[in-house]
Amino acid sequence: MNTPAHDDPGELRYAEYVLGVLEADERAAVEREAASNGAASAAVAFWQRRLLPLAEAVPPESPPARLWQRIRAALEFDAPAPLSKPGLWENLRLWHWLTLGSGALLAAACAALIFIAVGRPPAPAIPYMAATIAEHNGQVGWTATMDIGKSRMIVVPAMPQAIPAGRSPELWLIPHGGRPIAVGLISAQSPITLDLSAGLVARLGPTARLAVSIEPHGGSPTGQPTGPVIAAGAIGAAAGPATAMHLVRSARRPA
Amino acid sequence: MNDTPTDSSTLEELLARTALRERAAFEQLYQRTSPRLFALCVRMMRDRGEAEEVLQEAFIAVWRRAEGFNPALASANTWLTTLVRNRAIDRLRQRREDTGADPLDLDRLPDEDRGPAAHAEASEDYARLEHCLKQLDPKHGRSVREAFFTGATYKELALRCQVPLATMKSWIRRALMQLRTCLET
Repeated sequence: MNTPAHDDPGELRYAEYVLGVLEADERAAVEREAASNGAASAAVAFWQRRLLPLAEAVPPESPPARLWQRIRAALEFDAPAPLSKPGLWENLRLWHWLTLGSGALLAAACAALIFIAVGRPPAPAIPYMAATIAEHNGQVGWTATMDIGKSRMIVVPAMPQAIPAGRSPELWLIPHGGRPIAVGLISAQSPITLDLSAGLVARLGPTARLAVSIEPHGGSPTGQPTGPVIAAGAIGAAAGPATAMHLVRSARRPA
Repeated sequence: MNDTPTDSSTLEELLARTALRERAAFEQLYQRTSPRLFALCVRMMRDRGEAEEVLQEAFIAVWRRAEGFNPALASANTWLTTLVRNRAIDRLRQRREDTGADPLDLDRLPDEDRGPAAHAEASEDYARLEHCLKQLDPKHGRSVREAFFTGATYKELALRCQVPLATMKSWIRRALMQLRTCLET
């Protein structure tokens, strides 16, 4: 963590921002700066660590129980899990696929597009599923194609962010409302094929999501994600075997 | 849900799992942090109904934006407190635009130090900050506390304390510089 220099006259602005005394436009300017500039966000973090403990000056007080119920209701936690994703169009982020320009991905996207256009309901056993795992800025980090019959998944990097040295990106399956299940380590450079256990295959489906977190080299030591989640995406029904298998064949198995 | 996270999970782990849409982790995060955050909302909003609304909005944002939490930059506590405070500040400023502000007498404003009994559960960081705030000129220290809990701008603080804007700026800037030095020793 770099500590801002003591004699930097501009640096107090970050303290003033954290304290909350700046006018709305100055406040917005610091927020924009912190969002795009590492030194500025470090300076804001520096002052947050120093000033925010003042919040503890107020003795804790439990909110009324109805508040949690209101939050659950607002987030529709009590709604039944959807049988199929109505937002397949958005969840597959087809437009990201289309802009990637890769022939195989383009073909897969077009096939999925036809699939949606025809509006055929998903068959009980979908042979292939796909997920576009996008980063916070909307950029596609990886695409995953699942071959249900062969119990394997191919994870192809698109344009993932750089992974810090000594860290590994780890893929997780999150069943609807459930805890993450480790799928395996993936790569930011090359396609990886992962064998899926029967338990994992059973949980694949349109209500599940895939996510990538940054873990220590070799994977999460706890069996649950410990690092920041950098990308996530929903699972949808995928294109037919021709395109999916093209992806599987062109992938390397991890060493 | 088959099993619930254990109490030993850190808030950082709970937030990471919230980002992965694990509801049990999100609920545990709420149970563990809402008393402290709700107290902050009540103190800032000075209205329980509005405090509930702010906390509700904040936790909805936690569920939706937990992916943006970066443990390398801030602790979970800091991230959550910032999220809650920013929402409270926005609302307070909106409210003041609508109704105007009350004048304030800094000499009569109570210090908010929780006293020795409450410090047992408060963090070391808070104890150190409280110690450093006490080293400041009392008016400067109270201006900092008032700013922190009301989200008032320099201009509003000057108006409410009936001092020139430049005076208020110099009080708070001096206080911030002294705090930085004090907190580093």
